[in-house]
Amino acid sequence: MTSSKHVRSSRGVSWWALALGLALGLAVGLVYTWEIDPVIERNTAPWQLSAAAREDYVVAVALSYAQNQDILLAADRLRAVSPNRNVWDVVAEVACNRVKQGKTVTNSDIRVIRALEQLYRPQGGSGCADGLYPTPEPITIVPATPTFPPTPTLTPPPSKTPTVPGPTPTGAMAVVPTSTPASGAFALARLQSFCDPDRPGVIEVRIYDARGNGVPGIPVTVTWSGNESDTFFTGLKPEREAGYADFSMEAGRSYTVTLPGLVSNAPTVEADSCQASVGDEVVTTVTSYYVNFQARSN
Amino acid sequence: MAKRRIGSLLVGLLIGLSTGVFLGWGPFPVEYRNSPLSALAPRYQEEYTLMVAEGYQVDRDIEAALERLRPLGKPNTIDYVIELTERYISQSNIPAIPVMVALVEALIGPENLPAIMQLYRPTPTPAPATQG
Repeated sequence: MTSSKHVRSSRGVSWWALALGLALGLAVGLVYTWEIDPVIERNTAPWQLSAAAREDYVVAVALSYAQNQDILLAADRLRAVSPNRNVWDVVAEVACNRVKQGKTVTNSDIRVIRALEQLYRPQGGSGCADGLYPTPEPITIVPATPTFPPTPTLTPPPSKTPTVPGPTPTGAMAVVPTSTPASGAFALARLQSFCDPDRPGVIEVRIYDARGNGVPGIPVTVTWSGNESDTFFTGLKPEREAGYADFSMEAGRSYTVTLPGLVSNAPTVEADSCQASVGDEVVTTVTSYYVNFQARSN
Repeated sequence: MAKRRIGSLLVGLLIGLSTGVFLGWGPFPVEYRNSPLSALAPRYQEEYTLMVAEGYQVDRDIEAALERLRPLGKPNTIDYVIELTERYISQSNIPAIPVMVALVEALIGPENLPAIMQLYRPTPTPAPATQG
């Protein structure tokens, strides 16, 4: 006992007090460095970003790819965002989320969706945004051209045999619904923009049968902002053309024009600003579009 | 006896505190997982800025480009883009220079473009001839 006491006093150390101090010190040290004064975050990698910031990063990668078409570079950049997943699925998810969140209001939003889709679809990715905003065919801006009245049809010469006049048709101005054609019966025949200060931001839809005659009574649906839509019918302005209908766009938005169940390819048009010459003056207005559909010939 | 215990406790505290601070700031720092873009490492921030500049080439929407750069949290986004562009020029980062210069030009206007950047301006596309 004496010798044991002698050892303890000679070292002057209380081991349990030392251990307690060590534990307390360690705890205080970690609380201080993890909670009170943590390391300033400076060298974060893309995979450590929040979901929103990761989405921003993926969008930037897609837009960059749309410009440089360097798929290897895009894949490398995406791997930095999501090292443990199929990067194309990640891009598809981002596109899908943006559509679900309604980030499809402006032209820029639509271009983002298209850029994302152009990145993931050729690589086998797939998601809920597939094909929602197809890239429109190249559009040439042309100055407004005057619309000529339709060529009058020659009246057949009077027959020698008198014909019994039939009953006078009534309600000539009413829209006569045509028999419903089969799905995919119409194809996009013309998609062309024009710039006319007198008709700013108008989609002029014309529906023709296989012979080129206007078809009234066809429903036309225009969708925008992802979930807003309007349906109207051709033939309500017979003074224009039998198969004519129009729709006014708001500047800066994108619109998809379709004939429900009748076409497989629905074009998307953008209400961009455009400049038209009026006399010596240049006027800024909103781009309008001719969108014609024609029945497929059997 | 009490002095010895207090001394040991203080020594333990000192050693524990030092070890805790060393571990917490050194090998085991806080690992962030929900970081904003402003916390990205500089090289990723620069890459992100370049991608935004390339995106501007696609959509020509300068407001959208600025909106995309804002989360980087720079005190002055435009100054940051100009500085980065100047750095790319000094480093002869040939692929990046024209797109960054185009972004700077859109941000500050062609008349305010620094002289060195004028050399790298993309050739303007001639305006289409109008008819009628």
